Amino acid sequence: MDPRLEAERFTIPIGPQHPALKEPGHFRITVEGEIVTQAVVRLGYAHRGIEKAAEARNWIRNLYLFERVCGICSHIHATAFCLGVERLAGVDVPPRAQALRVLVAELERIHSHLLWLGVAGHEAGFDTLFMYSWRDREAIMDVLEGLTGNRVNYSANVLGGVKCDVDDAQRDAILRAVDLLEKRTEHYLQVVTTDALFLQRTRGIGVMTRAQAEVLGAVGPTARASGVERDVRIEAPYAAYPSFPVRLVVDTRGDLEARVVVRMRELFECYRLVREILDHLPPGEVRGRMPRRVPEGETVSRVEAPRGELFYFIKSNGSDTPERVRVRTPTVCNMTSVVKLAVGHQLADVPMILAGIDPCFSCNDRLIEVDRSSRPAECWTWEQLRAYGVNHYHGHRS
Amino acid sequence: MPNLDDVLSIVTELAERWTWKMETRRPESNRIDILLTSTADLVPFVTALRVQRLGYLSTITGLDPGLEAGQLELLYHFCPGAAVITLRLKVPRDGSHVPTLSQIIPSAESAEREVGEMFGITFDDLRNPDPLYLPDDWPAGLYPLRKDFAGNGRLKPA
Repeated sequence: MDPRLEAERFTIPIGPQHPALKEPGHFRITVEGEIVTQAVVRLGYAHRGIEKAAEARNWIRNLYLFERVCGICSHIHATAFCLGVERLAGVDVPPRAQALRVLVAELERIHSHLLWLGVAGHEAGFDTLFMYSWRDREAIMDVLEGLTGNRVNYSANVLGGVKCDVDDAQRDAILRAVDLLEKRTEHYLQVVTTDALFLQRTRGIGVMTRAQAEVLGAVGPTARASGVERDVRIEAPYAAYPSFPVRLVVDTRGDLEARVVVRMRELFECYRLVREILDHLPPGEVRGRMPRRVPEGETVSRVEAPRGELFYFIKSNGSDTPERVRVRTPTVCNMTSVVKLAVGHQLADVPMILAGIDPCFSCNDRLIEVDRSSRPAECWTWEQLRAYGVNHYHGHRS
Repeated sequence: MPNLDDVLSIVTELAERWTWKMETRRPESNRIDILLTSTADLVPFVTALRVQRLGYLSTITGLDPGLEAGQLELLYHFCPGAAVITLRLKVPRDGSHVPTLSQIIPSAESAEREVGEMFGITFDDLRNPDPLYLPDDWPAGLYPLRKDFAGNGRLKPA
């Protein structure tokens, strides 16, 4: 890099392991005293070559591959891929399937924003908020598991439609979870806008003006918190969004507090959408017929992931394998804003500014306790694990 | 939010009837592809898009049509509103130089560094030309998203 930029300043390497978050990334922060004068990011520590791998797999196997790009917003990746491939193949997807895709996408947004709220609380030193929001997030994880059978890679999509359908019992369970979370979100919105210590870490920190957000190419809630009216669900509605319009949530303040508030207010919009979809779910089939080979052509598929615009470019050469799939995730766009915004701030604010864009990191896991030496292998069911957790923490409290 | 039909007509006007006289295609109802004839047209045309407030660069896609073609293709995707404007630029497979857009679009830098290291295209005047995703010890002259890359750090046998 340019030797002029590296001259005579103190450079602090942060990462690649745990640069504030649980995902690897390397930041070289140049400081004068406590003030950041330059920040450089280096990515790729978790680069898995998925775009290359896609060229060696057929369309169906690729669906499962792309669902694994992200452990938090897995459904939206599969949706972007399916919508693109279906358009190339000229397949009509039944309206009920499109509505169910949107339903799962909004449930996913709820879980992702609640997860982020916990991370933001943790980064700000407010671990109580982290524990409460992640406890409440379990309600939505249970709903997703009940609906699709999985907590993380739900695998709700198939090429041509979806795998799952909603029956009355599931509908009631979803509505109960949404009612609960709506009350909780009201509480969280009040907490993040009134708690003095949290506001010290967010109000007026990392301010990005509307002009800056546009120049830096910010997307999603990060851009909307700076007043940029950009939401793919509204500007280019896909799947069932034309029938279930979304109301735009923007804030003009552009600081970290605005990024928190925008995400919290988006949650209310998610709850409204989930209820509306369940009330007006179109009848009929949930999947159409999909050919094995996809005609030659190119398409662009854009969707609104929880973190912002997700972009897929798909090129088919007429065979059962794609010629090229390009994936651009929203974090890549927003990362530019982190390195620009960090300049001029205290070094201690950098983790919060980084967390403010909601960079994507890996998701939670299941537990199997295996003790080979003394006893036969023991597998816990979800209920047993949950009961164990409840008893364990109850014991600590009393 | 820009109206789709307005965007498409402004871009057609710019590309076909203004200074450049470039060929355009309409592969899908919301998309317009513009075939750039020279790398020298790239920065002026992108500046024109920025002036029209249509210059939100979503990403840059690299395409490798295969060894026989002797060329690589760069696709600059601009996404104002519902429209997708794609600038298609063909460059020689080996030793190609393309001007950076990062002076007019700061966020272009990460996309250029990615496509540059994955396909072996040099973007001139980048502020930071270090690798973004590939490791420091990645062998020179090996570009993972080209079709002749076999994985495991090797080229496919000719």
